Amino acid sequence: MIHWKIAPAALVSAALIGGSAVYLSATPLLAQETVQLELWSRQDPSGPLRPGNVIKAAERLNKELAAEGSSKRVEVAVRESPAKGFDDDALQLLKVFGIGEGPDIFIAAHEWICAFQEDGFVLKLDDYIAKYPQHFGTIFPSLWSSAKCPDGTYAIPQDAEARMFFYNKKLLREAGYDTAFVDAMPQRALSGDLTMDEVLAIAKQVVDKTKAQYGVLHRPNKGPDYIMVFQAYGSDFADPETGKLLLERDKLAAAFGWFERGVKDGVIPANNTAMEFDALRKEFYTGNAAFWMYGIWDLGSVAFPTYGLPQDEKAFSADWGWIAAPAPEKGGSPVSLTHPIVYAIAADTKEPELAARLVGHASAADLNTDHAVTTTHLGIKPEQLEDPRYAKAWPLARATELLKITKFLPNNSQFGDLNGIIYAAIQGIESGRLSAQKAADFVIEEASSTLEDVIVK
Amino acid sequence: MTTIEEQLMIERRGHAASVARRRTNFVIFLGPAIVLTVLFFGVPVIIDIAVSFTDLSRSLRITEFTTEQYEKVFRTDRRLSQVIGLTFIYVFGTLAIFNVTFGLILAITTTAIRNASGSFFRGVWLLPRMSPSVLYILLWLWAVSPTEAGLVNQVLMQAFGLDAPLDLLTSAPIALIIISNGFIGASMGMIIFTAAIRSIPEHLFHAAAVDGAGTFATIRFITLPALRWPISFVTIYQTLSLLVSFEYILLLTKGGPFYDTTVYALYVYRRAFESGQYGYGAALALFLIVIGVVVALLGWRFFDMERLLQRPRIEVH
Repeated sequence: MIHWKIAPAALVSAALIGGSAVYLSATPLLAQETVQLELWSRQDPSGPLRPGNVIKAAERLNKELAAEGSSKRVEVAVRESPAKGFDDDALQLLKVFGIGEGPDIFIAAHEWICAFQEDGFVLKLDDYIAKYPQHFGTIFPSLWSSAKCPDGTYAIPQDAEARMFFYNKKLLREAGYDTAFVDAMPQRALSGDLTMDEVLAIAKQVVDKTKAQYGVLHRPNKGPDYIMVFQAYGSDFADPETGKLLLERDKLAAAFGWFERGVKDGVIPANNTAMEFDALRKEFYTGNAAFWMYGIWDLGSVAFPTYGLPQDEKAFSADWGWIAAPAPEKGGSPVSLTHPIVYAIAADTKEPELAARLVGHASAADLNTDHAVTTTHLGIKPEQLEDPRYAKAWPLARATELLKITKFLPNNSQFGDLNGIIYAAIQGIESGRLSAQKAADFVIEEASSTLEDVIVK
Repeated sequence: MTTIEEQLMIERRGHAASVARRRTNFVIFLGPAIVLTVLFFGVPVIIDIAVSFTDLSRSLRITEFTTEQYEKVFRTDRRLSQVIGLTFIYVFGTLAIFNVTFGLILAITTTAIRNASGSFFRGVWLLPRMSPSVLYILLWLWAVSPTEAGLVNQVLMQAFGLDAPLDLLTSAPIALIIISNGFIGASMGMIIFTAAIRSIPEHLFHAAAVDGAGTFATIRFITLPALRWPISFVTIYQTLSLLVSFEYILLLTKGGPFYDTTVYALYVYRRAFESGQYGYGAALALFLIVIGVVVALLGWRFFDMERLLQRPRIEVH
């Protein structure tokens, strides 16, 4: 009889427990609130994981939120822009923000961040950076300067890289330079022994003595790498005290002079700026040019996969190499340029806290290493250096050496416009329309008349 | 008995009906044209004037109303004089060489030969106009490519023994933009002139032949006088269209090298959309509108276009 009493009781209690378990697990589902965060990203084959890591970060953040007992869950919607470069992309995004259709989070080139800050489109992040040391505490201190505007930090560095002059050792040897000379060039550049004009002289010898047609090639559109030449000749473009744009006529003319001599010597082609990007790469990687002024990620995104350059360090180093932008004269300082891409959060996002945490998770060492090793970009945290994958990607370790002498573009909201003027002047010199001195005058005149607060010396 | 009053009423009603009919006709026939003109010319001009007095820049925000943009146009922009000079060369060169002269030559030659061959050649010259602009310019880019693979270089190097490939985009960019635009522009003149030549009464040509006129005398004394109006029309129309069009230049040379092929309309585009200076772009564009209207009025006056648009007199044979 007892059995009879126990059985229904057991059944009822089982039903109750089971029911409440179902109820308890179902309740949060019913009350769960999905927060959609929109991420603006440029369609960019050189960094698909910049948005990709944010999507992965959402999974981690959601787990964290579940563990905290929060009812919120984050979903990332990526809005891709087809802009050709980060400058076009930033101009487009400024308009999108201007009409009130901005995203919650965006990816941008660091020098644009203050343009967004000036118009009040971007969130100040100092408090969040202090609040979440587990996400942001170990990011290389040097990288933070690329995310700062005059009154605070407005972005999180996403990666770094190094820009350099790649060179074709085989062509140099064919031109008569011995192996020891060719292999010593990177070290000579770093020590300030190799000069910018020596690069032109070497390139000239290659053009004269080999079948190669070109000496030095550079990008055919507005961008950061040729700014290295100006930095090598002493122009940093920003007044250290006020942060305003600074143009120094003599230093500009000296840098333009290098381009002018390059064209006169037949080393830099007069139509470099009229050529296609892919055509220029092809000329260099197929052995028709001695030097190619570009950045480390080109190895991972183009040189290895498209032109089959050897991925093994030893095999690569036998015929290829790179140098920092050399000093203007012996004993001077060489430079390299790093151009961090950053994550930034919109000032008007409804969920600034969640957006900051999401970007924090996207900056995790393992996710950032995924981006670094697949696209040959430099990492943002010291712990990445211990990752065996990172250590295996030898171009990263080698390029890190250049960070000792690296410079940034100035974080000035008008630098993008100034760079457009500088690029036009380079085009003017190479096509024979301007002399070096006239090019410097042109940049100063044009910048003074179209930009604000330009200091001219 | 109908009184005078009643008769007047009937007449008035008829008058009222005809007024109503005239109004309806006005709305039906002219309404669409007026609406389109207001929407696509009047409103944009007003918006342009309004924007030109603001500081609208890359984030599409207006913080103040200012005459600063006009100060820039008149005082500080040092590129403008060069740009205006180039625009004059481009418009005048394209018109004089291709849109009028070459169009006329095509019309005269293709109407002088057999009808089938004439139609064939006219069809060939219409091809550039029919091709999508991007495709047309891609062909040009291949043709003038500075490498040995470029069509022009292949011809020059293989047929004429040229040593090194030419880089026309750097050495002759202005000529290139005139030729590439002219190949398209010539076809419009060609069609209009052909139609006009065909409408010249044939007996005039026979009479001229009987009088002993040669080919050139026939063209000089019969054909050209008959083409006065079409030539005026093509000149004015194409001047206006060349002043504002820049898409082929943008695709072919991007306005370069340096500013060598940046015509006025392209300069406005570069300032407004590449640098994000919308207020300044609007001020510059306003001058383009003013220049366009002035050219149209001058043409009206200079070529006596009013008579062209009068009711044609029917010729009695």
